[in-house]
Amino acid sequence: MKHPQNTFCGRVDRREFLRDIGGGFTSVALTGMLAKEGFFNKAHGATLDSYANPLAPQESMIAPKAKSVIFLFMYGGPSHMDTFDYKPELYPLDGKTVKMKTFGRGGKKNQGRVVGPKWKFKQYGECGKYISDLFPNLGECVDDMAFLHSMTADSPIHGSAMLMMNSGSLLGGKPSMGSWVNYGLGSTNENLPGYVVMLDKTGGPISGAKNWSSGYMPASYAGTVFRSKGDPILNLKNSHGMPQDQQRTLIDHINLMNREHLGVRGSESDLAARIASYELAYRMQSTAPDAIELESEPEHVKELYGMNEGKTEDFGRKCLMARRLVERGVRFIQLYSGGAHNDDNWDAHGDLEKNHNHHAGRTDKPIAGLLKDLKQRGLLDETLVVWGGEFGRQPTAEYAKGTGRDHNSYGFTMWMAGGGIKGGVSYGETDELGGEAVTNRLHVRNLHATVLDRMGLDPNHLSYFYGGLDQRLVGVKGAEPIQEIMV
Amino acid sequence: MKMKKQLLGMLICGFVPCLSAKEFSPEDVSFFTKEVRPLLEENCFRCHGGKDSKGHPKVKSGFQMISRKGIVIGGDHGSAFNEAEPEKSLLLHVISYEDENLEMPPKGKLSEEARGVLSDWVKRGMPWTPEDADVLVEMEEDDKSITTINEFSKSRWSYRPMARPDVPVVGNTEWKAPIDAFIYDGVNKMGLNPNAPAPRAELIRRAYYNLTGLSPSLSEVQEFENDKSPEAWEKVIDRLLASPAYGEKWARHWLDLVRYAETNGFERDSDKPFVWRYRDYVIKALNEDKPYTQFLTEQLAGDELAKPTFDSMSATAFHHLMQWDDEPSDRKQAYYDILDDNVRTTTEVVLGMTVGCARCHDHKGDPISQKDYYSFMSFFRGIVPFSRGRGPVEKMVFEGIDDKYEATMVAHHRHIENLKKERAKIENQLLTSLGKGTVGKDGASVEPVRWLVSDARTKTPQEWHYSTTVVDGWSEVGFRAENHQWKKGKAGFGTKGPKMVVHTKWNTPELWLQTSFLLEEIPKRLSLSLHHDEGVEIFVNGQPVIKREGFRDDYDDFAADKRFLDSLQVGRNVIAAYVTQTSGGQFFDFGAGIPSGKSLSLEKVLKSKEGAKAEKDLVNRWKRLKNEIRKKEADPPKPGVEILTARETGKDLPPTYVHIRGSANAEDKEKEVAPRIPGIFGGEELKAEAPENGRNSSGRRTALAKWISRDDNPRTARVMMNRVWQHHFGRGICRSSNDFGFLGEDPTHPELLDWLATEFVAQGWSLKKMHKLIMMSRTFQMSSKANPDALAKDPDNNSFWRFDMRRLTAEEVRDSILAVTGTLNRKMGGPGVFVPLPEEVLATSSKKGGSWGRSSPEDEVRRTIYVKVKRSMVPPQLADLDVADTDTSCPVRFATTVPTQALGFLNSKFMNDQAKVFAERLRKEAGDDRKARVRLGLELALARPAKERELEYSHEFFDAMRDKHGLNEEEALDRFALLVLNLNEFIFLD
Repeated sequence: MKHPQNTFCGRVDRREFLRDIGGGFTSVALTGMLAKEGFFNKAHGATLDSYANPLAPQESMIAPKAKSVIFLFMYGGPSHMDTFDYKPELYPLDGKTVKMKTFGRGGKKNQGRVVGPKWKFKQYGECGKYISDLFPNLGECVDDMAFLHSMTADSPIHGSAMLMMNSGSLLGGKPSMGSWVNYGLGSTNENLPGYVVMLDKTGGPISGAKNWSSGYMPASYAGTVFRSKGDPILNLKNSHGMPQDQQRTLIDHINLMNREHLGVRGSESDLAARIASYELAYRMQSTAPDAIELESEPEHVKELYGMNEGKTEDFGRKCLMARRLVERGVRFIQLYSGGAHNDDNWDAHGDLEKNHNHHAGRTDKPIAGLLKDLKQRGLLDETLVVWGGEFGRQPTAEYAKGTGRDHNSYGFTMWMAGGGIKGGVSYGETDELGGEAVTNRLHVRNLHATVLDRMGLDPNHLSYFYGGLDQRLVGVKGAEPIQEIMV
Repeated sequence: MKMKKQLLGMLICGFVPCLSAKEFSPEDVSFFTKEVRPLLEENCFRCHGGKDSKGHPKVKSGFQMISRKGIVIGGDHGSAFNEAEPEKSLLLHVISYEDENLEMPPKGKLSEEARGVLSDWVKRGMPWTPEDADVLVEMEEDDKSITTINEFSKSRWSYRPMARPDVPVVGNTEWKAPIDAFIYDGVNKMGLNPNAPAPRAELIRRAYYNLTGLSPSLSEVQEFENDKSPEAWEKVIDRLLASPAYGEKWARHWLDLVRYAETNGFERDSDKPFVWRYRDYVIKALNEDKPYTQFLTEQLAGDELAKPTFDSMSATAFHHLMQWDDEPSDRKQAYYDILDDNVRTTTEVVLGMTVGCARCHDHKGDPISQKDYYSFMSFFRGIVPFSRGRGPVEKMVFEGIDDKYEATMVAHHRHIENLKKERAKIENQLLTSLGKGTVGKDGASVEPVRWLVSDARTKTPQEWHYSTTVVDGWSEVGFRAENHQWKKGKAGFGTKGPKMVVHTKWNTPELWLQTSFLLEEIPKRLSLSLHHDEGVEIFVNGQPVIKREGFRDDYDDFAADKRFLDSLQVGRNVIAAYVTQTSGGQFFDFGAGIPSGKSLSLEKVLKSKEGAKAEKDLVNRWKRLKNEIRKKEADPPKPGVEILTARETGKDLPPTYVHIRGSANAEDKEKEVAPRIPGIFGGEELKAEAPENGRNSSGRRTALAKWISRDDNPRTARVMMNRVWQHHFGRGICRSSNDFGFLGEDPTHPELLDWLATEFVAQGWSLKKMHKLIMMSRTFQMSSKANPDALAKDPDNNSFWRFDMRRLTAEEVRDSILAVTGTLNRKMGGPGVFVPLPEEVLATSSKKGGSWGRSSPEDEVRRTIYVKVKRSMVPPQLADLDVADTDTSCPVRFATTVPTQALGFLNSKFMNDQAKVFAERLRKEAGDDRKARVRLGLELALARPAKERELEYSHEFFDAMRDKHGLNEEEALDRFALLVLNLNEFIFLD
């Protein structure tokens, strides 16, 4: 007798049948698309079997509030006290030594010299939210944003903290959030990847591709790196300069011979899928560049994103690309502000002012432009925007001199806006100095749960069987979405 | 036997008899209803409230708070209520937030008022409304429980002892050999017939790829087709099994399982030193057909053998293959994460058991308890974990394996020192003659520096923290020497040193030092000085940057290399040093400073007007010396026997406890475990005997290896035979080849698997014999052709009525392309080689150039198994074709088809470069005739003669390239070469 399998967590769902075993994916890809194209039927009249395409659109598990996610990743860890978490009591303490438990790159400490916030805060919007002078443009959007002031993470070290923010685990090998979303929902545009990552021009974040890996899931769910200039995707253009029309002839003949080979093997969906993949690849070559072709955008839109100014041009371009990708049905887009090491990202160990002026200065207007543009197009309601880094920073100084702050995973701020998120609200609090989250503490898992929930996926039941376990983005312990900021 | 409660999908809610009816006053009950219940509902029920609205269970840690009884019974941590001393109740402890491992509710500490109410309530004896004081969401008791050891769970095919099944008697005499009989019987029962044999050309291609990962040549195919002797097929198999390429192909399957990679992952993704010796070991062991049990024993405990060999030591790198975080946020947890990774990998790979699932609680789908997990973990408890720098690398001497290495290295360094001395002399002569003063020994410069760490030659020598005993993590950035009572002393350590002033006395064999400095920005250059006696290792921010050996008679002044500079960070930088001198007469000094940039280099001086006056002979001698030193330094004697090994902390190991909820910081001191096999297999404690081979080791891993190697081990042979079958037929007899448990798939042919497993044992655990046995079967030789009847009755081929087609793996595709174009370099072994990566891919790294090296053109075209495996950077051509992820065990590769693969096949530089090479080969070998070129191209790629139709299509293609696109014949040939490499037939196997 066969014992009931996979029922210990009480889920019944198609997703649980996709497993880490042979056959599950060996023959899956593209036959769904193939049927749609009528390509295979017309050419050979063979019947298609019931294989599923891993990226075919899937029914959502619960009512979705958003269709796409834009995750603005402020790599390095922005300081919450200097950006969105207003701490008036911190200013007068500047230079004074206080008792406070901190844990960062420099180890655990019990006291430290306070560095007062280096920027003034002003109230914005109807909600009267205090925002620092680093973000005058974002200030205008506060009534659409929900601030999470009580975020916590499990590690104050970049390597593991990055993996946690992206994949929910301190260790590598797990799929990232974008992979989960594509696994759960599929992609609505077969001519573009479902999960796009755009990196800072200074380089990738530490651990590189591990941050957008699909871990134990098939590589089809991994993020695809998009570049904002030149060819957006690797191998989109022929490296030896073969023109498109020549390539058309080449593909025609490849497929001619491949169909000949298929002849007696008509039931082999893998062979048919590979034939179809050449047609899709051919089309991707024209549709993918279109997604980043910004010439057609009017000047006033480019200006809205800050593309007319040197310092905001780069991130503005990426934000505008993100909007265009959302319009084209890409499920999950991640933009990195900051790359490489040290002050190339938000990791302000040395001169806090210099660092944050630089990075906020490059991103404030573009992000505000993105929110405003999405809103005016009616897209903000169905696009979930997430902002934050892998952790925050400490209220106290890292060294005897200077304004540098060390990492802080005990408490930090992120914000969300758009699809299914209340505007003008703040949730959770850190202590009066910003050292650690004290009220309504949130974990990275709660953020992940909220993203999945708003996308129409039940975070505690979206699972993938691997290593003898129903794996989830929110871990075996599960996590609740943050109801208080949800519409 | 204790029956445990277990959760099944549906929960039954109901009343159970009262255990302890207790009367409470109406005031108490009202206090509960008004004050307490709302608090519980708001803060606790989310996780401990029984069931949610959708019927999903909400009893985290098995703890339900929906009734008084639930709280009294408690969960994983025991009863939450202490009747005798209510104020000591666990419930009050967890809401106090005094224990950072157990804080409830997790969302944040309750208000003082709320805690007051709960405390008052508990002290009153936890009054509850009588009607629901004893309600529980009942968890079903089940005598068919799959999570406890009982008759039912023990009867699962994979938990039963192995037994030799009877071979079915089948009607068809051609199918009467054991493997065939099992298959025929099954196919027959479905009302089907097994497929006829595949054509010989298909068959030999299948054999070549399955055993060597490469294609046969057309002549090899034809030779086989024309060999009419009855032994023709057997000869092919024997030849392929004897080929070194067999080891290269099958090692890859094993490396997928053990998550083999050559770097550590995480922020720096640094190299695992000498780990490639493990890969070479696997290839060699398979080629030698080492008995599988010996193969496992060497990996698990090759260091504990009576006489460890170079091979057995190399094999023990098995214990260090996991990803490794060099700056974990919780060091203790990270230590156990490493052990966890080993438990998971070993149990899944060797035993087909997911023991790792029982780390935090008993397994939820198999009879594996948390105690089983920690008992198994204790087998690995003695291993010195991977660490920075040399880590667990040992320099070992084995007869015949570069045993002169040590002496060669010493001579090498002495030689360089002498050259440098001579060069310095000439430099001084030169500069003195030109009136420019003196220069540093490396000829770099003399220039004023701003000291960051001042050495003893300066007026204000650096103050260091130092210690003569070591502390865990001493070299890390986060290590605070002042918290460990390290002493302070000024630079210039030792008793007395040549040309060195001693400021701090040091006369012990070992010394650990630490100091720090601030940087506002990262300097482009750094001048360093170093003076030492026996051995010194310097770390910057935890990264090993310098390692020297041997005595010096003066300071060495030199420029920091890239590794040193790359380790610097803005803000606080920590320099740590480990110095040794075993025979007395210690001395050590180190300095670092930022050069002013206003110095004179000898080179510049020589180029200047005055320089032209320098004595030509002297200048020439100086140049020669400089070159020679550079060459010598770049090419040190080859390291022969540095090995990444398993080494233990000692013969007696500290106790191992169960960790509450898997937290290393919550050891349950009442639950000490011993090295035991899992309870479902009898739970026997394995007595370890420390080896008498001079190594300080517990012998626990040897005990484990002995149990695994037993002929009657219920899993070892079954799991491996299933894998062998999987890699021949495309799927295992049990499809979930890392999981034979209740959550795994049921095998389609359990008797066949048991027959193979018992045969494997009988054949002395010889893999090659089993390959041959399987490949000689008719089952293996079946054609892959479809037929409508069979497709309708058994579309997934569960009965093996045919041989399944498969796409080549990422490695097979790349190797085949290189083989077809004629560039494949068959050299074996050695450190991983770098293949060229596109700029776009390198740019995804946080380091410029992606810390990805460059190999020689010959090395770039070696077999894929020798390509560097870097965790954070996978060559796209391999990633696109579903190469294994290296962070966790990969039992089955995916085989996806997505448009980005086609883009790579059509557009990538690799493919287009190779197409050009291929075209060149066709020109050379087929001459000017188009038809001959086409014929050869197709034959090389497909290992069969070209068909007329294909020649016609190709002809049309050339014409189209000429007429439509204006390409000449040679340009069109380049395109044709690319076309051939894109064919489905090229990358699929019948």
